[in-house]
Amino acid sequence: MALIDCKGVSLGYEGNIVAKDLNFRVEKGDYLCIVGENGSGKSTLVKSVLGLIETHSGHLHMGDGLKKREIGYLPQQNAAQKDFPASVYEVVLSGCLASKKGVFFSKAQKQLAEESMEKLDITELKGRCYRELSGGQQQRVLLARALCATKKLLLLDEPVTGLDPVVTADFYRIIKRINREYGITVIMVSHDLYSAVNYATHILHMKKDGSFFGTVGEYLSSDVYKAFSGGERNA
Amino acid sequence: MPEAINLIITQPFLQRALVAGVLLSLCAALLGVSLVLKRFSMIGDGLSHVGFGALAIACAANVAPLYFSLPVVIVAAFLLLRMSESGRIKGDAAIALISTGALAVGVMVTSLTTGMNIDIYNYMFGSILTMSNADVALSVVLSIAVLALYIVFYNEIFAVTFDESFSKATGTKVSAYNMLIAALTAVTIVIGMRMMGALLISSLIIFPAVTSMRLCKSYRSVILTSAAVSVLCFFSGLLVSVRFEAPTGASVVCVNIFAFGVFSLLRAVHTSSRLGAKLKKALAVLISVLAVATALTVPLTGSVTVYKKEKASVVATTFAPYDFSRQIAGEDAEVSMLLAPGEESHTFEPTAADIMKIEECDVFVYGGGESDEWVKSMLSSIDTGKISVVRMMDVTENLREEMLEGMQEEDEHGHDDESTAEDAEYDEHVWTSPKNAERIVFAISKALCERDPENKNGYEERTRQYLEELSALDEEFKAFSKKAAGRHFVVGDRFPFKYLADEYSLEFYAAFPGCSAQSDANPTTIAFLSEKVRNEKIPVIYKVDLSTGSVARSIADSTGAKVETLWSCHVISADDFKNGETYLSLMQRNLSALERGCRG
Repeated sequence: MALIDCKGVSLGYEGNIVAKDLNFRVEKGDYLCIVGENGSGKSTLVKSVLGLIETHSGHLHMGDGLKKREIGYLPQQNAAQKDFPASVYEVVLSGCLASKKGVFFSKAQKQLAEESMEKLDITELKGRCYRELSGGQQQRVLLARALCATKKLLLLDEPVTGLDPVVTADFYRIIKRINREYGITVIMVSHDLYSAVNYATHILHMKKDGSFFGTVGEYLSSDVYKAFSGGERNA
Repeated sequence: MPEAINLIITQPFLQRALVAGVLLSLCAALLGVSLVLKRFSMIGDGLSHVGFGALAIACAANVAPLYFSLPVVIVAAFLLLRMSESGRIKGDAAIALISTGALAVGVMVTSLTTGMNIDIYNYMFGSILTMSNADVALSVVLSIAVLALYIVFYNEIFAVTFDESFSKATGTKVSAYNMLIAALTAVTIVIGMRMMGALLISSLIIFPAVTSMRLCKSYRSVILTSAAVSVLCFFSGLLVSVRFEAPTGASVVCVNIFAFGVFSLLRAVHTSSRLGAKLKKALAVLISVLAVATALTVPLTGSVTVYKKEKASVVATTFAPYDFSRQIAGEDAEVSMLLAPGEESHTFEPTAADIMKIEECDVFVYGGGESDEWVKSMLSSIDTGKISVVRMMDVTENLREEMLEGMQEEDEHGHDDESTAEDAEYDEHVWTSPKNAERIVFAISKALCERDPENKNGYEERTRQYLEELSALDEEFKAFSKKAAGRHFVVGDRFPFKYLADEYSLEFYAAFPGCSAQSDANPTTIAFLSEKVRNEKIPVIYKVDLSTGSVARSIADSTGAKVETLWSCHVISADDFKNGETYLSLMQRNLSALERGCRG
């Protein structure tokens, strides 16, 4: 059974449809990139998958025992975080909040936070202050937090915005490694078409007049890709 | 042990202030971190204004201020949150709307009903030293509840503060926790208003958080440092206020400013790129040592004015009872006055030294009206077993504060406190009639003789002589009253002479009632008084000592009458005090001023 099964879904709020007739499936271990122009409904789709807003119509189904609060979400950073006094460990541990029972974090949860930091190679940053880290390091910390919240699905919302090319490439490699080594499914909203086709297994290209969904191979030979990438090159 | 610390440990009213204040400081410090990080620093300020508005309404409606403002401020906190979350009105604009709105409503309600009375002043500037046991108990219970909830939901509050989007996605009820933070803040503000004052409480919330963020690198250390800074600053502020006889709320805030400066300096040293690592460390140690040394030496060295009793003592709140007492006491007892010459009686706030002085004295004399409302809660917070308390309004025949024709009505001093509600309309300036003065003198003398039987003969002898002088004054006024029959006197000011007027059937017109703190008359009042002056060809218009006299002057300008001063003997000017004026000498001046108003 698919982790996420999306059939004929329309998205929108207050009668204003931003995307219609979305069809896609995410299987365990997939790496799906969601691309598309601004305003094509990418963020709205992310919120629907997280269960924060209702779909307008159609079926958005979670399978394989995936619960909405078990999605490892990496949101876009907000301004307040830039000068937030918190240690890396505190931020990572806060990813365990959904599974916390009682008042304090359990030993197992603290263990999980340590493991997540190891997976992302940030154990030596544990006691450092979040606001003093570089942009790339901050994204790793937030990724470690996301790993504390899930064993199944990572959902990343434009994670490389503002990172320099070297750090960006590094970050993509980490995501790929998590996807392969730990078998965690990845859904990433991205502006970066080139990297999307390089790293992902599937592409969802959102457009007002009919979205495309398929494997990277299918996508590369599609008219949608040709028009979009061509358009990008000409721009 | 330094005297200031010794006092805090041994004096029950300071112990209570310490316990309630430390708990409040903890609550404020913890919540402050979340508020500052969520960019909601001004919420504290906004809510304290709402608290002020609620207070004004509570006073007008005669309900207990704390119980009324608590739910109102909590609702306002939710409303603020809702407004800024819905995004229709930005957070800072929402706060400005609610806070200035509440302030305006508060001022309107106040001016239309009771006028600025002592209770409202109490909450504007706080009065941690005169908290009653019930107030302290309520504050302690609420603070402990706030602290417990904060600790239980510590991790959730951190997550929600750091990243709402992520918390929402992982199923945390973000808006519920935002409401929790808002509600806890509201509770802290309301109890803080009682202690620190509505004008100062938001600084107690913001300062420790911002101070600790100068240096700390993890959330937990920010929280712990903020709590520690807040408690230490409160303790040090309390010491400062005891040592320098300064208001507690302002002292605590000043110590907080000092701490902020020290932390900022440490941060500047720490982040400097020019200094070497060793030099940085040395400088940091030096700054810390200097700061702690300053913090300790300032309030702990030098002597605290501790009232040391060598003979019997009388403490009086205002000038008239002070003067009566010193006439009786002679050399046998020490007499002191709480309100310094020239001090505004309505905003008087006793310092720790004042309260200790009262605790140690033998006879305490106060009026019992609205302007010394603080006395009631103060007396309930100290041990009065060894003190004879003379309440002047208990020994005199009291008159209701009456509206004279043409008087500006809205300024009448009503009162909200349940037990004094019935005294509220009584005029408190009982001593302005020499007859009443005799009654008060008699009561003080009796109390002093009971407390200090050794000097009984001296007290009785001086009392007899003084009563004779008062009765001579009475005769003079009686004689004057015959001359003044049928005449009107116009006071372009507040009117504290109700008792004098009644005793000798003198007929007055005045702008405001006796206790009004207001001095701006409306045009109708001025027109009415001016017409009286013109029609009856009244040669003199009176102002009351220590007032600006603006109303009297404007009537004088339009009518050609002369402005003269009458002395209420409530509080006198520093110059009069230095020149050794007495109740008798000032009443003589009043008599001759009134006589000049009878000519022509």
